[in-house]
Amino acid sequence: MPLVRKPSSPAEMPTPDVRKWSKLLADGSDDERWDAARSATLLPDALAVLTDALARERVPRVREAIFTALAKIGSSESAAVALPYLRSDDASQRTAALDALRAMPAAAAEHLPQLLEDTEADVRLLACEIARWTPADHASRMLGELIERELNTNVCAAAVEVLAEVGNAASVPILARCAARFPEDPFLIFAVKVARDRIGSR
Amino acid sequence: MSDFSRKRVLIIDDAALIRTYYRSALETRGFVVEEALNGLEGLEKVLLQPFDLAIVDINMPRMDGITFLYALRSKELPVSGIPVLVISTEAGVHDAAAARRAGANYYLVKPVKQETLAQYAAVFCGVPR
Amino acid sequence: MAETPPLITEEEFQKLADFLYRRTGMVFTETKRYYVERRIADRIVATSSQSFAGYFAYLRSEVRDEVEHLINAFTVNETYFYREDHQLACLTTDLLKERVAAKEPGDTIRIWSVPCSTGEEPYSIAIWLLENWREVDAYDIEIVGSDIDTRVLEAAAEGMFGKRALMRLSPELIGRYFHGLDDERWRILDDLRQSVRFSRVNLIETKDTRPQGRFDVIFCRNVLIYFDDESRRIAAENLYDNLLPGGFICLGHTESMSRISPLFEVCRYSGAIVYRRPRELRA
Repeated sequence: MPLVRKPSSPAEMPTPDVRKWSKLLADGSDDERWDAARSATLLPDALAVLTDALARERVPRVREAIFTALAKIGSSESAAVALPYLRSDDASQRTAALDALRAMPAAAAEHLPQLLEDTEADVRLLACEIARWTPADHASRMLGELIERELNTNVCAAAVEVLAEVGNAASVPILARCAARFPEDPFLIFAVKVARDRIGSR
Repeated sequence: MSDFSRKRVLIIDDAALIRTYYRSALETRGFVVEEALNGLEGLEKVLLQPFDLAIVDINMPRMDGITFLYALRSKELPVSGIPVLVISTEAGVHDAAAARRAGANYYLVKPVKQETLAQYAAVFCGVPR
Repeated sequence: MAETPPLITEEEFQKLADFLYRRTGMVFTETKRYYVERRIADRIVATSSQSFAGYFAYLRSEVRDEVEHLINAFTVNETYFYREDHQLACLTTDLLKERVAAKEPGDTIRIWSVPCSTGEEPYSIAIWLLENWREVDAYDIEIVGSDIDTRVLEAAAEGMFGKRALMRLSPELIGRYFHGLDDERWRILDDLRQSVRFSRVNLIETKDTRPQGRFDVIFCRNVLIYFDDESRRIAAENLYDNLLPGGFICLGHTESMSRISPLFEVCRYSGAIVYRRPRELRA
């Protein structure tokens, strides 16, 4: 019966060498760059190193690891490194950047005001999702202000989607005005109704 | 107990209200609707159950619509052959081209009327008018 | 006198259902409506929230304990031998077959159960393999059980179990792999007890996970769903690191990587979803 043996010692995995991490992030194999990215938070100039690495990196899981390192740092500055990728032409980069910010919601929230005022509709739209991670009253206020000035209906719809979850009484007239401004947008009309029902009278 | 005459549609979009909007458009016309909120969940659902059509967004967490399409088309039949209608906020020419390259059958830009959605679904599912 | 829990409106129910679906993948259908409302009402009372709105705000603030309490209200968290045995069946029918395709007889197969709690899962794997895998003699099988809680690890190493833990095992299996101490307790045989290595591991700490080495199959059930977004990412990366290329990871049957990480490939085996670290491309 003793066919199932007690393991004496586990298979050894090499421990990366701190001094070599910067170099490995630049020149190593996929596995080496992945390992180095995961440990890079310990480098003194981690933010600069990760910023450069992210700009160069093409392999998705290494990019993920770099984003995770930025999330571990979790500062306003590390969130700022992820932000430009929200504008990428590559859908997977946009997704990766937003997921990274999702893992550092407080740091991401510090950038919310300017994201909600960005000249690109795509960025304002993603910013509505970032607002969801902030306290409800704060999110309601910011998204309410956005909707009042927003001309792009898809951005309005993204804001309404979040208000359906976090909106309060002050949101209701804002939502009504939005629907009145865009009577031709069938989804927006639908979404405003749902949001108003969910905010309700309680 | 499944009703073999009813077509099954999978809606893959991270916005709950979009899914509700599409669901209400399709259910009233007799489609059976399932939901997923990102490409990865969508992939899991198509692997476990049969579908006649997938309606897919582009910008979603964990796995975007383009990545979903490449993964879907790399699976085996019949899963890899599911018709995919992409409905996205991305209105650029290169966005539709990227979706086509990844294997989308058609591309619409949001917002889409419920009636329009139902018509496209009927065409893709082979439902007679 | 018991407090009267507040009535939950349709819209409030939808709000919570959407939140839970996004967070965990759990879907609440109309048929479960009354059951769900009762559980929510219990949590509102338990948290001394004045209303659903107050409770929902508390839940949203990601005080981790509350999300965990709410998820626990909807899941059965008992551990026992041969729990989710369809995954054990998948292990022998599909996963090990794939893994040994590139192995020689005498090679090692490493399986990780994390969290292992009081040991039911790793010992179940051992018993299942001995009972159901024809090639069990052909390979060196290492089973590791890990948990963050040293008390459960001590209990696991002791290998003593009560009736409830053994309820899915036939009398034959119990007779074969345990000896009874009295009517209430059984101890797993020494041979099996000594063939599982237990270790303390926090899944978020690479310094804990890395030394466990690389595995062919990992069972990581019903723990990731409780982590916040940052911790899930880190844990998923650690688990990826602990998998051999082409190795498999199984989550709890209501869990999905779609809420956790994009690193793994999705595979379907025997009607179940299993995740895989991509195989290495041959140079």
